[in-house]
Amino acid sequence: MGNWERLVWNQRDVLIQGLLVTIEICAIAFAAAIVMGLGLALIRLYVRPLRWIAGFWIEYCRATPIFVQLMWVNYVWPELIGWPTSFYTAGWVALALQSSGYLAETFRAGIENVGRGQREAAAAVGMSPVLAFRRVVMPQVLLAIAPAIVTQFTVIVKSSTLVSVITVQDLMFQSQRLVNVWYEPIEILTATAGIYILFIFTVSAIGKALADRLRLRYGIGN
Amino acid sequence: MSDTPAVEVVDLHKRFGELEVLRGVSTRVDRGEVVSIIGASGSGKSTLLRCINYLEQPTSGEVRIEGEPVGFERRADGSTRRRSAREIARFRRELGMVFQQFNLWPHMTVLGNVIEAPIRVRGLSRRAALELGRACLDRVQLAEKANEYPARLSGGQQQRVAIARALAMQPKVMLFDEATSALDPELTGEVLEVMRGLATDGTTMIVVTHEMAFAREVSDRAIFLHNGLVEEEGAPAQVFGDPKSERCRQFLAKLLH
Repeated sequence: MGNWERLVWNQRDVLIQGLLVTIEICAIAFAAAIVMGLGLALIRLYVRPLRWIAGFWIEYCRATPIFVQLMWVNYVWPELIGWPTSFYTAGWVALALQSSGYLAETFRAGIENVGRGQREAAAAVGMSPVLAFRRVVMPQVLLAIAPAIVTQFTVIVKSSTLVSVITVQDLMFQSQRLVNVWYEPIEILTATAGIYILFIFTVSAIGKALADRLRLRYGIGN
Repeated sequence: MSDTPAVEVVDLHKRFGELEVLRGVSTRVDRGEVVSIIGASGSGKSTLLRCINYLEQPTSGEVRIEGEPVGFERRADGSTRRRSAREIARFRRELGMVFQQFNLWPHMTVLGNVIEAPIRVRGLSRRAALELGRACLDRVQLAEKANEYPARLSGGQQQRVAIARALAMQPKVMLFDEATSALDPELTGEVLEVMRGLATDGTTMIVVTHEMAFAREVSDRAIFLHNGLVEEEGAPAQVFGDPKSERCRQFLAKLLH
């Protein structure tokens, strides 16, 4: 147990620091992915002239490996458009890009699954399409796709370990640094895996509990 | 102006691709009048109702609400201009619609369903809307369900909430699109009872229905549609008791036996 204390417990500040960076970059990437995903879904569904661009974008995001995307955003974008200017930004942008593709398809399916009658009822009382979307369609979409959104967040968390490659000092980065200092991978990497498991499990459990509570309240779904 | 009809339909045509569902329907509904529209499946009766509030855009012809054409504006010089979606939405406020499938919003409480449009569309204060909403729920005898979610109600109760939701916009005309067709037989009575009450109170109503006994008893006038045309129109006693049209006679005979 001496090793655990020396290598993990005594290094907890470094690991926690890394975890905070992980949480932060994942939260930013997730928020950006939601906004982009919803935007892409809306364009694909409702903006006919731009539909093919959104479709291409979604397919591109989903079909490229996250590692390639990370390298691409980090090394190619600055050459092409002068942005992003930091590794940190490149990290969350790449994470957001990939998830936006998946979330766009999730949103699209969710929106298409809200029955036509729901919108007609809104139109019949004089709501504009925008108001109907905001008040009638979107809450039902969020309720239906909440589990898929939570799952996507856990995917971001797992993918986020790759940003350590471009020197973003997340949990994985700090963990590897400790390994390189002490040459003792067993305890440090095991503890790192444990922290990721705990984090993802906690997020999933909270997400599921919230979704279940809402469904129970509305008496819909399971 | 008092003889301007509440709803007037002039030579209305509706085509879905090759299929012409309405082939030139004209009729008028006066204020306070209850008009039933009957006919076989596919005769165009639901489409007619949905064209009246522009959930379906008519292919040609006119719908007028209190003399004003819904789909376009007629200028002083006689030219016309198609109305925007926003303008059409304004007309829809005047037309309460009750759907066959209720279409209540599942994520809102019963009261939430009823006060949503008064607040967001008519701009009522929350307090005023709550008062109005409770009054409307009272009218359909569901005041005690105000805080339930729709999924916890029976079909008949859901449809009564849908009626309250439409009433809360204080529309000039209520449109009923087979309001009892999706209900179990034992639940149709409570909905018809509410509709009967509205008719007695002088609500202007257009009722697409398969409930012949109800149509005969409650309506001031009945319209029999066949293949997208008005085949027979008149007082219920005449349309149901002694129809001039052979098709109407056959339609009713089939239902009664």
